[in-house]
Amino acid sequence: MKKTLVFALIVLAVAGLNASTKFKMELWNRWTMETVDGDIVENELAVKRGYFRLEPQFSSNIKGRFNLDFFSDDGAADGVGMKLKYAYLDFAVLPITDSKLTIGLMKTYFGTIYDWDYQVIEKDPSDKYKFVSSTDYGIGISGYFPSGFGTYNFAAYNGEGYKKTGSDINKDLNFAADVRITPMVGVTLGGSYYFMTKNNAEVDTTLAGNGPLVDNPAREQYNMFAGMGKLAFGDFSLLGQYLMKTKSLPNVDGADDINTTVMSFMPKYKINNSFDVIGRYDMYDPNTDNDDDAYNVLVVGLNYNVVRDSKNNPTLFFQLNYETTMYEDSDKDPVNQIMLQMRWIFSEVLGS
Amino acid sequence: MKKLLFVIMMIAAMVAFAKKGDQITMVGSTTVLPIAQATAEAFMEMNPDMNISVRGGGSGVGVAGIIAGTCDIGNASRHIKNKELLQAKQNGVEAYENVVANDGIAVIVHKSNPVKDLTIDQLQKIYTGEIMNWKEVGGPSMPIVLVSRDVSSGTYETFETKVLKKEKLAASSLMLASNNAVATTVKDTKGAVGYVGIGYLSDNVNDVRINGITVSEKTIQDRTYPIARTLHMYTKGKPEGKVKKYIDFVLSPKGQAIVEEMGFVKVSK
Repeated sequence: MKKTLVFALIVLAVAGLNASTKFKMELWNRWTMETVDGDIVENELAVKRGYFRLEPQFSSNIKGRFNLDFFSDDGAADGVGMKLKYAYLDFAVLPITDSKLTIGLMKTYFGTIYDWDYQVIEKDPSDKYKFVSSTDYGIGISGYFPSGFGTYNFAAYNGEGYKKTGSDINKDLNFAADVRITPMVGVTLGGSYYFMTKNNAEVDTTLAGNGPLVDNPAREQYNMFAGMGKLAFGDFSLLGQYLMKTKSLPNVDGADDINTTVMSFMPKYKINNSFDVIGRYDMYDPNTDNDDDAYNVLVVGLNYNVVRDSKNNPTLFFQLNYETTMYEDSDKDPVNQIMLQMRWIFSEVLGS
Repeated sequence: MKKLLFVIMMIAAMVAFAKKGDQITMVGSTTVLPIAQATAEAFMEMNPDMNISVRGGGSGVGVAGIIAGTCDIGNASRHIKNKELLQAKQNGVEAYENVVANDGIAVIVHKSNPVKDLTIDQLQKIYTGEIMNWKEVGGPSMPIVLVSRDVSSGTYETFETKVLKKEKLAASSLMLASNNAVATTVKDTKGAVGYVGIGYLSDNVNDVRINGITVSEKTIQDRTYPIARTLHMYTKGKPEGKVKKYIDFVLSPKGQAIVEEMGFVKVSK
């Protein structure tokens, strides 16, 4: 009840205060069936996501985005949940053409997580393999290079993402840098770097909580790199990514670094304006020093775009995906999933 | 059963890969629309085997059509934006700009309005709501009624760039979906000011000199008129085949004569 009231108040406030506000709703209705060794372990119908978005245009150079993320499935407490996903303002006030300053709960500029459009139902690799959270509280500068040459993004973040809880609050700032270039038609290359320190550098370890602050030995430091390349020729495209994460414990003498790697390929073929066939193959190794913890994920999918808007963006489409996870550990059976998802989107601009 | 499945698959494949034949699809700017329609008709008369479908939607729709590869020609009354150019390149599409005509955005007032001259600065203040009465610019004491194109139109974007210059349009503005609607509203409303492509000027309204310059073919071509622009037909790469044949026709003396008939200004060689 309280949530509904807050939500209604926000909608009314934003709609009432701004002459031009874009409303958008996107829903993902999904059926999932998961099998292991021939046994059905999950068979679920759910609303996996319901995004409600408001984009108020305060002036020609100040624009906001506010996103509520609803979900209704058996993975959430009480079977339903709501989170604030985006809450930021873009200020196009910098003395650089095609640039903006962003402040608030914003996109995380790493790899392809910030423009992942779910051509397959599965998440972006950085998101799926827990490199970074898709959004975080921060401040950043983004822009376009001239002549369609590419984009750049630099940002500083809180570091705990948008699903923070009391114990997760991170006092250390995190930093991201991301550059993508398109030197010629159909060829895009990009690289990202993310520096993260997790948890506070110092803690009070006394029971009474009034002792001196001392070094926190559990403090974690992450250096993350992402390289991406995309080729697009005619109706065919291929996206490739390589992610690398090094986790260190700088306050613990002799602690070994842990290296995590992901390699992902995603080919796509557009049969016509209605149908796309898509594949994806991920190779994930959470610790390159271990021999039995890696796994590979294969996805085969078909997208059926039923309705598109005037700018050819799909507004109603079906996604059929088969996903299988194959483990390096020979004792583990592959996990197979069939997912059928119906995504539908509607939007309206109110005011002038 | 197997045979039936085979037949269904064959039909699906034929539908999926069916060639469009000698068909050209054009979408986009409502400003370019009359040029596109008239030249397409003339071209089809000369080439009876060709079929050209023309649709409006706005410049953004035209450029999006080229980026997505859903049309052969995307019409736009503005240049492609840097962001759109990048999207096209990332999609493996070279958005090639063909300038097919020139246009001036004429500022129009009601026939009874004696105001003949405005500066860009005054026009900006009028459209941002700072100047609200005609007496502030040498006219009679009469409230100004603001008439504008909708924000998705290329005409609005050009007006925003050349007149508003990042300032916000007054909330009281009437946002209309076509040049015709703007011209009609100004004709019927005493205190109204509006802006339309030069092709939509008529004796029913008065046009206003901007910075002392009258909108005309000459002032648009020599770029002295301050609210002038080029009109474009974007193609996927340099035009080839049937699309080249059509674009060549639009740029030919016969095509450019149609451009002038539609009230626009031909491309200077």
